[in-house]
Amino acid sequence: MNSFTVIALAIFLPFLSAATVPLAQKILRHRVGWFASAMAFVSFLLIAYVAPVVIHGDTFTGAVSWLPSVGVEFSVYIDGLSLLIGLIASGIGIIIMSYSNGYMSHKEDLSRYYQYLLLFMGSMIGMVFSANTIQLFIFWELTSITSFLLIGYWRHRPLSIYGATKSLVITAAGGLVMFIGFLILHSITGTFDIPTILHDSSMIENIKNHDLFLVTLIFIFIGAAAKSAQGPFYIWLPNAMEAPTPVSAFLHSATMVKAGVFLIARIHPIFSGTEAWFILVSGTGMATMVLAGFLAFRQNDIKGILAFSTISQLAYLVTMYGYTTYHEPGIGVAAATFHLLNHATFKACLFLVAGIVAHEAATRDIRKLGGLRHEMPLTFIVASIGALAMAGIPPLNGFLSKEMFYESSVEMGAALGFPFGIIVPAIAVIGGVLTFAYSIKLIDGIFLGKRKDEFLPHHIHEAPYVMLIPAGLLSVLVILFGLVPSIPVHNIIEPVTSGILLETVHLHVTHWHGFTPAFMMTIITFVLGLLIYTKYDSLASWQDRLNASYPWISVNYYYDAIVNNARTNAYRVSSFVQPGFVKTYINALLILTIVLIMIPMIALSGDLIPQTLSFDINPYEALLMLLMVVAAIAATVLPKYIPAIIALSSLGYMVSLLFIYLKAPDLALTQILVETLTTIIFLLVIVRIPQTFREKLSKANLTRDVFISGLVSVGVFIVLINATQGIVPPFESLSHYFIEKSVSLTGGHNLVNVILVDFRGYDTLGEISVLCLAALGVYNLIHSRGER
Amino acid sequence: MNNVFLSLTIAILFGLGTFLILRKDVIKVIIGLSIISHAVNVLIVSSGVFNGDNAPIINGHVSDSSSNIIFNDVLDNGVLAPVVANTEEVAYVDPLVQALVLTAIVIGFSITAFILILAYRIYEEYGTTDINELKRLWG
Repeated sequence: MNSFTVIALAIFLPFLSAATVPLAQKILRHRVGWFASAMAFVSFLLIAYVAPVVIHGDTFTGAVSWLPSVGVEFSVYIDGLSLLIGLIASGIGIIIMSYSNGYMSHKEDLSRYYQYLLLFMGSMIGMVFSANTIQLFIFWELTSITSFLLIGYWRHRPLSIYGATKSLVITAAGGLVMFIGFLILHSITGTFDIPTILHDSSMIENIKNHDLFLVTLIFIFIGAAAKSAQGPFYIWLPNAMEAPTPVSAFLHSATMVKAGVFLIARIHPIFSGTEAWFILVSGTGMATMVLAGFLAFRQNDIKGILAFSTISQLAYLVTMYGYTTYHEPGIGVAAATFHLLNHATFKACLFLVAGIVAHEAATRDIRKLGGLRHEMPLTFIVASIGALAMAGIPPLNGFLSKEMFYESSVEMGAALGFPFGIIVPAIAVIGGVLTFAYSIKLIDGIFLGKRKDEFLPHHIHEAPYVMLIPAGLLSVLVILFGLVPSIPVHNIIEPVTSGILLETVHLHVTHWHGFTPAFMMTIITFVLGLLIYTKYDSLASWQDRLNASYPWISVNYYYDAIVNNARTNAYRVSSFVQPGFVKTYINALLILTIVLIMIPMIALSGDLIPQTLSFDINPYEALLMLLMVVAAIAATVLPKYIPAIIALSSLGYMVSLLFIYLKAPDLALTQILVETLTTIIFLLVIVRIPQTFREKLSKANLTRDVFISGLVSVGVFIVLINATQGIVPPFESLSHYFIEKSVSLTGGHNLVNVILVDFRGYDTLGEISVLCLAALGVYNLIHSRGER
Repeated sequence: MNNVFLSLTIAILFGLGTFLILRKDVIKVIIGLSIISHAVNVLIVSSGVFNGDNAPIINGHVSDSSSNIIFNDVLDNGVLAPVVANTEEVAYVDPLVQALVLTAIVIGFSITAFILILAYRIYEEYGTTDINELKRLWG
């Protein structure tokens, strides 16, 4: 099999197996989760199958035609980056779906749960391997939608609904903004294909010098930031914790939220090496890193702490990918990529532990937990490994990537010069200190200290192996990557880094570099971290007080104001626009029409009253028109129904006379017949409706209505007298054809008749249909009366 | 058709119809609609009428002689049928607009009949022809 087929299989297998999950559930019952994890395992193997290509430093692209009309293909691009995230998505997928077998109650709707998970996994794999922006966007939004479904998995909980809506609103809207960015990129480069841009240095140069460079970057970055919960968009992630815990571990720490980081890495070669890139990406990253790390203190829910920690850790990655200078565009790329992998392992591990704790102790509130180390010794060990890796304790993998983070921060600071040479590393250290503090809090709060018997069940068991082993596997990876970093570094981090920097990179990662600045920063981190930890609770309560006094300080305040009030505001707008009174609509329509006609009228003819006007009229016509006006006025002003209808009827007969003057004998005949019928129906109806209602016109209303009608009159008049001045573009009259061919083709001499029944017979058919429908409607209206 | 008086008549009919449509009484609204449809019909027919013309009925056996000026479309000068300047001599008024209006008259009639019955049924159900009152009853 070639690589394209393999990857296409890896993308679509999850989708196909999602469709077969209900069937599998019929056979496997509550063990259906093993089917799902087996499918994830197959996807993982398929992706791993193409790994050798990439590890040797190659990339691969393959495509089949999909939307040839707009130049879009279904295409895959396999490089280190897509391979890494693809492996994380499917690998963590295996672990999560296995773990879910223990976590999810058998009473839950399991097939829906695993379907969503598999759909998500397929979308994620599809996204990372996308070789064009259209396909990337589609899979990107699919991950948003599946995330929405999974957060709202427990449909009856209001908080689930709130969290699901929030994540969808923010991430999907961000995706749309990103899509605009892609379209601008297309207008600059003329291609949707990502590898084409990446491998064409002149095209990248062209983008960087283009006027729309900054706009494109900002639009695409907003999409990435919304997805990865960066900057003001972070607010959806804490609420996403309403999802079942395995989902949080999978989507909201290890994979989906990495999509934004993935996108940043993907466009890194195109946009990096510019000031805008550093300021936008690293700036957002640093601000988010510090704020989210700080806000984690306030959380009582252990998943809440993990959520803010995820935001903060993602901000590490964003910050590192943002480090760039003209000469060295990717200072932090290697560190970021390594940390991305490490974070996926230790954070997913911690989430799984949180799930275990919640499952066994029946609470996730850190104030109620404590002293569980005796009852859950294995969980304690696994949790400690994860938390210590996050805190950056040697020899775990988190230590290595944090050292690299510090190194790249020092390097970036040095490149920028004073005062940034101090500020950038200092911000990095602050981020590290906060991470250290809440990591310790997690272990201390759950496992150490005194057991709070009043909140906890009498007997807490160690977790079942089906939940413990997946978490344990991740902690083994944490240790393995920490002790032997060369395995991940050579096999995956180097290809990724080379792919992003577009040059061959060799990395050397060790624990001990000597007394480097990074080492000193680590020492400072540990010392300050311990110090802050002693003030942990007072800092948390200070945040609470601050938030209580100034609610507008939080981004959530604005989200709630906009989104939660959307219904009320929409109602207000629609009840203003749609008051339900026909009169309002007619007024709006008439005034708009007059304006819309008058503007081009004046613009085209330049003059309201044309120069040449014909006042020729013979006396009969003049009399007829005068009588018509009189009849119409009578129909308007006569208050009683019957006189008004008689006036209307006389107007109709005069119209048929006018048709004779206008050389339209057929119309005159028709008009006479129709007018007679109309009058009869009018009278039939009117004798049944006694005139009980008599409208009282206030002076203001009368003035307004007369004004509007006058406006219509004047507008129509001006249009009509201008209509002959050649202000419309010329066109050939259809009637030439009818007049020439009438006798020879149809043998008819009356042109109007010939047109009606021969040339335009379908018009007449339509007319008869309308007549039939009206007759049916009338019949049913009358008939419905009897059923009461 | 470039006659100021005819234009004026049509415009007045439009205005009066509009005034009636703005009334609260359903029956008056229907009368207003009828007046407006008369105005529209006359407007469309008149656009195909020129001076020195004939009704669109062919006398004789064959009409496709090129000697007859039927329509004097001079696209370059912006002279076109069915709107033709008064000075142009044409053989027939435009039959197409008449055919269209004939259809329109019949459709207008069926719609008038339908809404009249509708108004009648509304009166039967709610005992009023006042639009505002109906709006209040419907809530």
